[in-house]
Amino acid sequence: MPLTNPSLTHLNARGEAHMVDVADKPESRREASASGLIRMQPETLALLAEGGLPKGDVLATARIAGIQAAKRTHELIPLCHALALSKVAIDFELDEPESCVHVSATCRLNGRTGVEMEALTAVSVACLTLYDMCKAVDKGMEIGAIHLDTKTGGKSGDYRREEARGERAVTPSFIESAASPIVTGEGASGEVSVGQRGDIAAPCIRVKCLAELRERLGVGDVTVPVDRLASSDVAGLKTALKALDARFEGLDQGRVLCAVNQVMAGDATPLTDNDEVAFFPPVTGG
Amino acid sequence: MIRVQQRVFDAGDEQRALLEARSDIGAVVSFTGLVRDFNERPEVQALTLEHYPGMTEAALGDIVEQAQSRWPLQGVTLIHRIGRLAPADPIVLVVVASAHRRAAFEACDFIMDYLKTRAPFWKKEHTASGDYWVSERDGDHDAARRWEMSS
Repeated sequence: MPLTNPSLTHLNARGEAHMVDVADKPESRREASASGLIRMQPETLALLAEGGLPKGDVLATARIAGIQAAKRTHELIPLCHALALSKVAIDFELDEPESCVHVSATCRLNGRTGVEMEALTAVSVACLTLYDMCKAVDKGMEIGAIHLDTKTGGKSGDYRREEARGERAVTPSFIESAASPIVTGEGASGEVSVGQRGDIAAPCIRVKCLAELRERLGVGDVTVPVDRLASSDVAGLKTALKALDARFEGLDQGRVLCAVNQVMAGDATPLTDNDEVAFFPPVTGG
Repeated sequence: MIRVQQRVFDAGDEQRALLEARSDIGAVVSFTGLVRDFNERPEVQALTLEHYPGMTEAALGDIVEQAQSRWPLQGVTLIHRIGRLAPADPIVLVVVASAHRRAAFEACDFIMDYLKTRAPFWKKEHTASGDYWVSERDGDHDAARRWEMSS
């Protein structure tokens, strides 16, 4: 399919490489998710699952490698800007039937440039680290299918790979990162926050579902604009969530606890812009 | 001293560190929780501990503070591990030092009871018959309530 007059933004009028000046672009909330996979022998995958590889905790190491790589993308890709990412999350899914590990990365920031290169770099380096950690037992592993899944924010509009495949899709999204369920699979808890969220245009409540609840609802992180809340408290947030996505009906099933800004809270707890609300099942540590 | 970490800890090292250069401590009580290979289902092969970063540290700090307000304590070490653990691995360590044994015993017991019902940790067990999230136990809540009645 011929592209409709696309211009390569990293080339100037003379066709030379240059870095795009983003100083005058408005800041907006940007998020991108990418994924890829590494194929290996079934025995290697089994060793990885059991933690029996000589270099130790493979997934934890690959996760940190992916996060570090996302933060240093500008050092690797010549014309990328250095970005202050507000979040990098790396997830692994062990796929026994296909004998591979699916790697996905989500990057977010409030800024003037997209974060798809960061997400793609995170996936690539996480895959390379998986190779490095497992190569003692399997040199024939193959890395592949690294691609952008979704991109939101910015003037070029939102992109979703499954919808796009030719046409660029522009979709308003109230629920971010809810497109695909977060799979913990072998129990890899996948998220590391690397900094505070900056200011963004619309006042928002940040919602997290944790542990069993996250897997049951298939939703990890969601951002809800404050003006969608029926009332400015946790009860109003729950109503808004259920209106946005039927999966949140699950908040009423079983005992679900709630914390606002990391302090235990209830339905009547008031909410304001940028509050962090977590829903989770009863605790079972110790 | 409160730590949430993936790596293993050594109860002996931690206790020695707590007691180092102190001669005013008369009693030290140490509790270590371990991964069992049977729980709701037999043949537990591993478990994964998830937590809520930020809230976890605050909740543990609050529990230790409450213990210090109830008993005259001279030192507390609380370590909880996260991530994937195997049977027989240590999960949690509480070391409490006081001038007298009663305070040390009771404070250690109190910290574990409150940790089990108030700190945001969740266990997922991996067994021969599949993975499942561990559910809460009424016994843990009964144990935590004892401290409310006696205070």
